[in-house]
Amino acid sequence: MEFRDNKAIYLQIAEYVCEHILLGKWKTDDKVPSVRELAVELEVNPNTVMRTYELLQNKNIITNKRGIGFFVADDAITQVKAYRKTQFMDDELPVVFRNVYLLNIKFDELEARYNTFVKENFNP
Amino acid sequence: MNNTFNIQRFGLLLKRQWLEFGKIYLITLGVAAGVIIAFYGFSLYGLLIGERDFSARALNFREPLFLIFGFLFITVIASSYFAHLGQKPKAIIDLLIPASTFEKFLAGLFFTTILSSVAFLLIFFSIDLAFVSKLRSVFPDWNFTNMIGTKPESMIIYFFNENKPKEFTSIYLIVPFFITSIFLLGSIYFNKYHYIKTTIAVMIFSGIWGYIIVNTAELVFKGRVAIYRNSSIEVDNPKLWAEIGIFCLILLLTAIIWRITYQRLKEKEV
Amino acid sequence: MIKINDLNFGYSKHKLLFKNLSMQLSNGHIYGLLGKNGAGKSTLLKNLAGLVYAQSGTLEVLGYNPAKRQPALLQQICFIPEEFYLPSVKIDAYVKANAAFYPNFDHAYFATLLAEFDIPVGQKLINMSYGQKKKLIIAFGLATNAKLIIMDEPTNGLDIPSKAQFRKIMASALTEDRCIIISTHQVRDLDNLIDTVIMVDENSIALKASVEEITNKLCFKRVKEMDDTIIYAEPSMAGYNAVMPNFHQEDSKLDLELLFNAVLAEKNKLKPIFN
Repeated sequence: MEFRDNKAIYLQIAEYVCEHILLGKWKTDDKVPSVRELAVELEVNPNTVMRTYELLQNKNIITNKRGIGFFVADDAITQVKAYRKTQFMDDELPVVFRNVYLLNIKFDELEARYNTFVKENFNP
Repeated sequence: MNNTFNIQRFGLLLKRQWLEFGKIYLITLGVAAGVIIAFYGFSLYGLLIGERDFSARALNFREPLFLIFGFLFITVIASSYFAHLGQKPKAIIDLLIPASTFEKFLAGLFFTTILSSVAFLLIFFSIDLAFVSKLRSVFPDWNFTNMIGTKPESMIIYFFNENKPKEFTSIYLIVPFFITSIFLLGSIYFNKYHYIKTTIAVMIFSGIWGYIIVNTAELVFKGRVAIYRNSSIEVDNPKLWAEIGIFCLILLLTAIIWRITYQRLKEKEV
Repeated sequence: MIKINDLNFGYSKHKLLFKNLSMQLSNGHIYGLLGKNGAGKSTLLKNLAGLVYAQSGTLEVLGYNPAKRQPALLQQICFIPEEFYLPSVKIDAYVKANAAFYPNFDHAYFATLLAEFDIPVGQKLINMSYGQKKKLIIAFGLATNAKLIIMDEPTNGLDIPSKAQFRKIMASALTEDRCIIISTHQVRDLDNLIDTVIMVDENSIALKASVEEITNKLCFKRVKEMDDTIIYAEPSMAGYNAVMPNFHQEDSKLDLELLFNAVLAEKNKLKPIFN
């Protein structure tokens, strides 16, 4: 996995895990890779992965079954979406807004764009 | 866990050191054997093919060969044992091997003092024996009893028989320990050119000591007469006492040098 | 695991390399030791392994004094020096001669590591390249299951695939009871691997903080213009790469190179933040 420069590693790993859950690669009640397995796969410090798992546990995306390992939580997909939404609102939207403002783009223009995008990509 | 000495760990260390040291050891031993055989062959060739008659003088080369070459062999081995500790990359790995400093020191003694002396004696003895038996078979009718001291016997026995007084045998036995201890110390004391530097150091030291001893002796004894009569100690056998004295002195010096070597090994830094 | 107290060390008595250096390291971490050339990274590591002796101060590793070089401690130390020498024997002969000194040596693990590093078994050590030899001693060192792993520039001489292998192996080597210390110039090789940064500069520890602590207190980001809050910045393509106090609790990614230069250039501004 390539890490980007602008975001803390443990958050990028969280995104990686969320992505797997959203795409259905890891399903509810599946065991997620152990801290060590994921650390080895991503070539990062196990303590960093631990930090990620603690974060995801707090967000109710994964649960820790003592002695066995971490599992995808029951309503993980909802939780992931909620988590991603806050992330998007807090981190990515301000950047978009900044450009919208600077480039003087009108909202109805954006809306039209948005509608075509959805039509092309999600309703074939 | 015993952090000073453990016989099993010491055994492992000997095995490990043999892996590193063994090759040089065997090569040196091979060269030594080659040189000895060459000397014997060269000196005895005429006799062996029956061109010349046997004479006592024919075997005279053996004693200096044994002494000089023996000295060279054990000192070369001794002065190479700790030599690699002068090189950082080699020293780090050796110092970090989980064996105590004492065990590492003992392994050094084993390889340089005991093994090298024994190996040299063994190799010299067997080559000598081979040539001597050959000589005996070439001259089967030689009347050995006529010529005292010319019997072509084994060099080792000859050496101790010839170099009288017989009483000094024990000193001959301690001398290899003493010599190797000096060169072993040299191998850890110097970082480069261990052999040359040790030799020069020994020459300077013995020069200074010789000078001091001769001068003090002169100062103390010149113009005086030794009185044996009425002495409180009855000296029955002056040779025996001299032997014990010299033996103890060499032993003491050897022990001191070993102690210094051990200390140097303990304090070695990279 | 490691306690250093008021350590004074110098190769000559008049010029000290470390003055009153104190530091504690615990298990379960990968420490990254950074510093300029000649700042004393290797020397600090050698002090820990008992290869050099300090003038004064105390040093305790796993409860032992490393200067005594006791087998009980040496068994628990895996030291990978930058330059090393291996005898010209085959790998299995080397292992046979050396592994028995380590009571916890794991032959199966060693075989796995060799396979991961692509080192053919049965090869003679003398025919191996520097990089291969380095991988071999790393594999051997890790297989001893030593508790303290000290590596001086381990990625020097490794090719690109080996560096990735190295990172994977180190990630799996970190366990709760192990302490790993890696010194490096090439921070890019290791920046996701270390969890605590130790920087030596000017006779002492200029910075010792976990990545989490650093990113809690500092923010690393690209800015368009310089302003007063910026502690240190370097010009880049679009503005500056800057280090600043983390006022807004941003979760930025630690830029080790930038931090390194910031510590060297702005020690006085950074000191109060980390105390």
